[in-house]
Amino acid sequence: MSDFLVEAGRNPQMRKAISALGLPLSLPQALARPSGPWTEQPLQDKNVLIASPGGALSEALAVALAPMGANPWVVAYDDASLAPFAGPGEAYGRPAKGIGLEDEIDVRPNALIFDATGLTQVSELEAVHRFFRPRVRALARCGRVIVLARPPQGPGSIEAGVAARAFGGFIRSVGKEIGRYGSTANLIHVAEGAEGRLAAALRFFLSGRSAFVSGQEITLTDAVKASEPRWVRPLEGKVALITGAARGIGAATARAMSAEGATVLVLDRPADDGPASQVARELGAPAPLLFDITDPDTPAGLVEALKAHGGADIIVHNAGITRDKTLGRMKPDWWDLALDVNLGAVVRTTHAILESGALNEHGRVICLTSVAGLAGNVGQTNYATAKAGLVEFVRRLGAELAPSGSTANAIAPGFIETRMTAAIPPVTREARRRLSSLSQGGLPEDVANALTFLASPGADGINGQVLRVCGGSFLGA
Amino acid sequence: MATKKKKKSAPRAVIVSGARTPFVKAFTQYTRMDAIDLGVAAVRGLLGRTELPWREVDSIIWGGVILPSGAPNVGREIALDIGLPPSVEGMTVTRACATGLQAVTLAAAAIERGEADVVIAGGGDSTSNAEVKLPQKVVHALAPLMLGSKGVSPGDVLGVLSQLTPITEILPKRPQIAERSTGQLMGEAAEDMARRNEIAREDQDAFAVRSHHRAAAAIASGRFDREVIPVETEQGLVHHDTLVRADTSVEKLKRLRPVFAKDGTLTAGNSSPLTDGAAAVLLMSEEKARALGYTPLAAFRSWSYVGVDPADQLLMGPAIAMPKALERAGMTLADIDLVDMHEAFAAQVLSVQKMLASKSFAQLRLGRDEAFGEFDPEAFNVHGGSVSLGHPFGATGARMVTTVANELHLSDKQTALLGICAAGGLGAGAVLERV
Repeated sequence: MSDFLVEAGRNPQMRKAISALGLPLSLPQALARPSGPWTEQPLQDKNVLIASPGGALSEALAVALAPMGANPWVVAYDDASLAPFAGPGEAYGRPAKGIGLEDEIDVRPNALIFDATGLTQVSELEAVHRFFRPRVRALARCGRVIVLARPPQGPGSIEAGVAARAFGGFIRSVGKEIGRYGSTANLIHVAEGAEGRLAAALRFFLSGRSAFVSGQEITLTDAVKASEPRWVRPLEGKVALITGAARGIGAATARAMSAEGATVLVLDRPADDGPASQVARELGAPAPLLFDITDPDTPAGLVEALKAHGGADIIVHNAGITRDKTLGRMKPDWWDLALDVNLGAVVRTTHAILESGALNEHGRVICLTSVAGLAGNVGQTNYATAKAGLVEFVRRLGAELAPSGSTANAIAPGFIETRMTAAIPPVTREARRRLSSLSQGGLPEDVANALTFLASPGADGINGQVLRVCGGSFLGA
Repeated sequence: MATKKKKKSAPRAVIVSGARTPFVKAFTQYTRMDAIDLGVAAVRGLLGRTELPWREVDSIIWGGVILPSGAPNVGREIALDIGLPPSVEGMTVTRACATGLQAVTLAAAAIERGEADVVIAGGGDSTSNAEVKLPQKVVHALAPLMLGSKGVSPGDVLGVLSQLTPITEILPKRPQIAERSTGQLMGEAAEDMARRNEIAREDQDAFAVRSHHRAAAAIASGRFDREVIPVETEQGLVHHDTLVRADTSVEKLKRLRPVFAKDGTLTAGNSSPLTDGAAAVLLMSEEKARALGYTPLAAFRSWSYVGVDPADQLLMGPAIAMPKALERAGMTLADIDLVDMHEAFAAQVLSVQKMLASKSFAQLRLGRDEAFGEFDPEAFNVHGGSVSLGHPFGATGARMVTTVANELHLSDKQTALLGICAAGGLGAGAVLERV
């Protein structure tokens, strides 16, 4: 399911020809995606421009960025701006260079990070404009814009909350402006006390692992007790159950998690024994678990299978189906089936696993919801109902799991190039692809990367949330 | 490991003596001598110097980086070439620039395990005899002609020839000192470290000048006479290291152009040169040494080998390995009288020193509260180092052990810390104490 325009864009001759002919086509930027597993220094030699006007996160940024291999350029608002960067810079040989607010630098930055935690009044929002305006066009291709703020609902004043919320609109708009260059913009709300969890999030959001994540807000809190983050083979020693892992996103996730050291339990329908076994064999994983997840006996059987592997550390509810018809034409069996596979079975199996104690400490439950569940789609009342339900499911479940160091979250993929989306009629498919800020569809690997990040030990600051992997496809009027 | 246990039964390995060839620039006096010949010269010199009965030798543990592919077990070849008793077994190790130290610590470990009583350990390299390799593509293409059991038909030859295009892919490859995993040249890596650790050109040049002056003083005073043995070549005897420049100065070095980057800071003057040479160390169990009437010079208290990401700061290994070795010895820098570091590049030594002096480095990279510390310049590389003496890769570690063991003995010091950076992101550290 290759995307013609992305492929054309890779070819410089084709690029030239299209612009010479004056065709009304904007060729999407091929996204930079890292190959292979996580590395110690995902940002090696990348230039990161940082501004933190009175912000509280300079120290956390300094400590996070130097080990990632990034060269920091720091806007010197005052004498103290550079101080937090001195120590880590010295330790990792990444000395920070100070620059004036208006200064241009002689390299194209790969990322722009704005620590907005110091902005607590609406009138101070101008600092955002002053920092980004002269720099946004200098951002390298497949660059990253990150704004850091406190959570809007945090303990600060009303105005502080308003400012924190306002950045959401900013990054979604910036994301749309820079998407044509393959760049993304995201907002990370860092609650007080959760500064130590920033490094893991930055490793995801600043690297190519988040190539198709744009316009997103994520909140880091210290509600879940921290586990030691690991930057290389983060899932070593973990058992990951992935449903619907025979193909598409599930198979990509199985590969990604296996590459990070997890023992992957591939689960799919008995009818998909062939492809499921193939994935398991490829990964050297245990024999696939063949269950029909709607079968009432499945939860009990599954619990037993998990216990045989010492319980599960990661559960990815990826299996899903669509049975599209407009509401007036939808037969009850299609409604029921879509709801049961996409929601009912997820709730049932999760409960059974939790009740039996088959989810280990520091566990991760991750559901796949869908942007359809968040935005709605013609012909998908059943599917969207189920997927929207999952949003609340992970929120409640997250609160319940927090004391054991476990989290529950959801990923909402947008248009991803899979067998499911290949079945969409060509014109609609092409329209949906171009809907994202990056004007292309994502790959199963993009979703797999986001799932792997949420499953990693360092992602324990994120709980009960939904992360869209949609390339920033929000519609605004 | 190497930390000594106070058990009566465990023997302690001691350094009895060391000898090395003069170090000379590649493609000069030793061009016709390969790594084995140089090793023979060093070991023969050591045997002569110490008047050691040949039958006492148990083993030769040799090291090399550019090993002759026809006879990679240089250690055994040396024993055979000298004519040592056939029972003197031999092995050869390789650990990039830490090879020489690796050979010596392996010998110490073997003695302390009770496997041997008398071991000659060391290493050497002949960069002049680096093999110019045909690309594997040519080797694979020629295989049917070389290995075919039946007669070769003209068709076979044509078939082979057709595979040998384009010409650029079949030309012999120029040997170079580059990282296999990253393709980066050593000098480029050091250039990168100079930039990232903000090491100025002037500081590098000043360091290089000091290295040359100290080495020149050691040669002039005869201090090296007890470790350097003359080597006979076709052009006559070589008595002294030939790379040391007593007359160099900061002004002279300032005029040299950077070699690894246009706007770089590394020059031929502040980098270690391509060198030919070999060094050998005689180790024995303490009991054996005393029984044979030798005065032991020093013993290892600990050692440590570490690895760092070669794609990061390739030559920073000693900044991790030296603290680790000291910790294993149960000591701090304050307990150390002498420090000797391999000088691959002045920039690399200064970078490592900067790291070790940094509190942040200690906290974030070593997990310690306080900085490891700064070296006293008067007790650091007291007789120069690889920048001035040269750096035959496999020999350097053995040269350092010899010089430091002698220095402990001569200057009545008690302890010494060694540090060596090595390709592949490796680092080595060791603590020696006077016996």
